Amino acid sequence: MSRMSAGRTVISQHIPSNRVINQFPKPFRADCTPHKEIDFHPKVKNACSENRIGRVGLRICKAVLVGDVSVGKTALVNRFCHEVFEKDYKATIGVDFEVEKFSVLACPFTLQIWDTAGQERFKCIAASYYRGANVVIVVFDLSDESSITNLVRWMDDACENADQPIKFIVGSKKDLVSQAAYSQVESRVKMIANNLGAEYWAVSSKTGENVQEFFFRAVSLTFDAAVLSEVDTALAPRATQIGTIKVEQKDLYESRKRKISLQKCCNH
Amino acid sequence: MEESEGFKRNSNVDSPKSPTVLPWDRFSNWLHCACVVTFDLELGQAMELIYPSHVHLTEKEKMNICYLSFPDSNSGCMGDTQFHFRIRQCPGWRQMVRSQLQFSRDYPVQLQSDSAYYYGFVYFRQTKDRSIRRGYFQKSVLLVSKLPFISLFSQLVSIIAPEYFENGEPSLEAACHDIDQWPPPIPGESLSLPIFGEVIQVRIPTRSDKLVGQPVSKVEDQATVPAQHIVPSLFEVDIFSAFQTVLPHVQMLWELVLACEPLVVMAALPTVASTTVQALISLISPLQYCTDYRPYFTIHDSEFKEYTTKTQAPPPVILGVTNPFFAKTLQHWPHIVRIGEMLGDAEASKSFNKIKKSSALKTLDSKPGVYTRYKPFLVKDKSILKRLIKGIQSKRPVEAQNAIMRRYFLELTHSFMIPLERYMASLMPLQRNISPHKGPPRLRPFDPEEFLKSVEHSGPQLTSGIKGDWEGLYRRFFRSQNFEGWYQHRQYEVNQKLEVLHMEALCQANLMDWIQDKEEVEIVDLIMRIQDKLNFAANNQHSISEESIQKLECHLRSVVSSLPADLQSVLKI
Repeated sequence: MSRMSAGRTVISQHIPSNRVINQFPKPFRADCTPHKEIDFHPKVKNACSENRIGRVGLRICKAVLVGDVSVGKTALVNRFCHEVFEKDYKATIGVDFEVEKFSVLACPFTLQIWDTAGQERFKCIAASYYRGANVVIVVFDLSDESSITNLVRWMDDACENADQPIKFIVGSKKDLVSQAAYSQVESRVKMIANNLGAEYWAVSSKTGENVQEFFFRAVSLTFDAAVLSEVDTALAPRATQIGTIKVEQKDLYESRKRKISLQKCCNH
Repeated sequence: MEESEGFKRNSNVDSPKSPTVLPWDRFSNWLHCACVVTFDLELGQAMELIYPSHVHLTEKEKMNICYLSFPDSNSGCMGDTQFHFRIRQCPGWRQMVRSQLQFSRDYPVQLQSDSAYYYGFVYFRQTKDRSIRRGYFQKSVLLVSKLPFISLFSQLVSIIAPEYFENGEPSLEAACHDIDQWPPPIPGESLSLPIFGEVIQVRIPTRSDKLVGQPVSKVEDQATVPAQHIVPSLFEVDIFSAFQTVLPHVQMLWELVLACEPLVVMAALPTVASTTVQALISLISPLQYCTDYRPYFTIHDSEFKEYTTKTQAPPPVILGVTNPFFAKTLQHWPHIVRIGEMLGDAEASKSFNKIKKSSALKTLDSKPGVYTRYKPFLVKDKSILKRLIKGIQSKRPVEAQNAIMRRYFLELTHSFMIPLERYMASLMPLQRNISPHKGPPRLRPFDPEEFLKSVEHSGPQLTSGIKGDWEGLYRRFFRSQNFEGWYQHRQYEVNQKLEVLHMEALCQANLMDWIQDKEEVEIVDLIMRIQDKLNFAANNQHSISEESIQKLECHLRSVVSSLPADLQSVLKI
């Protein structure tokens, strides 16, 4: 923290301690991930320590959660963002939206989480929510066979509109299945995940098992990719940079006002 | 630190998951409802959908909304057309929105909306469709709000409507749900507003903002969430484009708006009419335009008769119209602005025109221009015109032209208002005249002649190079509702401030000493004065510290306890 410039520190102060990532998190299953790296890329580490990560801290990092009705997408988000778990099921209308701020290698990084509705009724509008996503998370219910069958379709639909996303397949409700049943499902889903080029996770939003680990992993992989592409194209400004509108800062009224020194109430 | 608290509040306490926030609570901070209006062959314009469905609109409001959601005349609005309108709320159903009550006093005056009005932001689509009997698909999606966040809601409806035309009702449902997750519009905060997978970032202005240039830099510094859409301003419209065809007359228009003169804008398209009316209102910023204005007004409007009657003088309002019928109906109006299509850069400078006598306005004469007999009080400042024309020739971006124009009129309005503000300050009683043992002092009344005398030596000439009959303009202004509105607002503010100062004086005073040699009746009088103050404090919690209130309550208790027991029980405290 001490090496950071004044400007950077100001932003980092607002990051709560449970959103700080300094170690590169491991995958859930080493044999079921397309991302074989075991640490942040050296260029990324360098850039962070020298504080030249450019606009990554200001960049959009967008994650969408998709999957069948009632597999537990919202429960997963609520466990991570609010540390709560509600037993009662309430269907999501359209999309829920959360913003989480992180500090990765002492650099600020923001994740938008778009938690979509699984209902067929909202299928037609889904495409606009997937647009430009950097992370696609397909959630399925470890205890529900049919939600596994639909995994591929969800991933294809979402990736069609996303921006070469980092892909995850997340089995939920791990607390509800026996060890034996779990092993069976896992071997099946691992194949699907590997075929899709996605990383596999199994979590329980009820107990919290693996929930933070999973989000940290997702954030770290996204951060690594974002900074790397930023460093590689440092000289060529990217089109995704936020547009700014310049307005002349000099304010004639202000400077004149000083001359006139407008009397304020009750200053006599 | 403020930012982190703001963020916490947004993400946790006030989150949609919080049990204290009901569904649609957060939605109603921003919008009243979203509607779909369709053209039914039997019924004409008809309300197809209101969302959320529990929202109340009277039949009259619905009718107005239906008519105002469609282009009024048979103009060639093929494809998509966007505009906005403003209607009166029916009495009896005027409820202030939570956000308005809470934040209104911290908004800049232009955003301190009149709760008696609704604003409608329309996105109209008209396309050929052989499958429909009439051969055309004609439908409008609109957002209804009590807040005049013109540019934000225009942008919002342009995101929502095409999605609705594509995918139908679920998209409207989803959009409203997105808006129901928006944090409240707290003045001074930069907000990230999710909608359809994108984030609109906007900063809510406050009264204490510097008037030009601040909002944009603020957005950059804070960097709460990266956004795809940055709306640089909540409410400002593109005034340069709006006035491009009447550029040489804008300074006169400023006078007309300042003096609340009846003004009608005639244009071919509702988009042009509504933008121009909004631009006119904003010319006198930061002064609030205090009478009615209708960015888009039609012959079906329920105020049509009231506003177009020839038996009375035209009302001091600004109307935007497109129906050629108005050229006849409003022929007797003193000032008519005809706006041509918004032009490309090349044509603009050629098309400038002379002021036309209003008698020259025939139904068929539709050349752009300002039709009036009005003689401006001030001499036209040619430098700003030259600067803007130079900008047109050198293809200066519209944003920059806008900034130049906005600043110019801001300075002009300030030059006009500063002497008034200063005179107003001189009406304040002196600090030493505020006594805890008397009632709160009052503001001296406004004396126009006394003010005009002060203008001779410290008038607008100190801050503005513009020559002319400033005094005449002030006299005209004093007769307008804009002056009345400004004066009442200032009076209210000053009296509030005096109340607070008086209360502080009462807190500081050593009352126990003072009552030593006083009659009972005087002490009772004091008690009642303290109670008045506590009532005032209860109604104005924002401006009074908890400490002062406690001090006063303590005073009250000790003064009361000094009285005989029988009197205490009569006072029932």
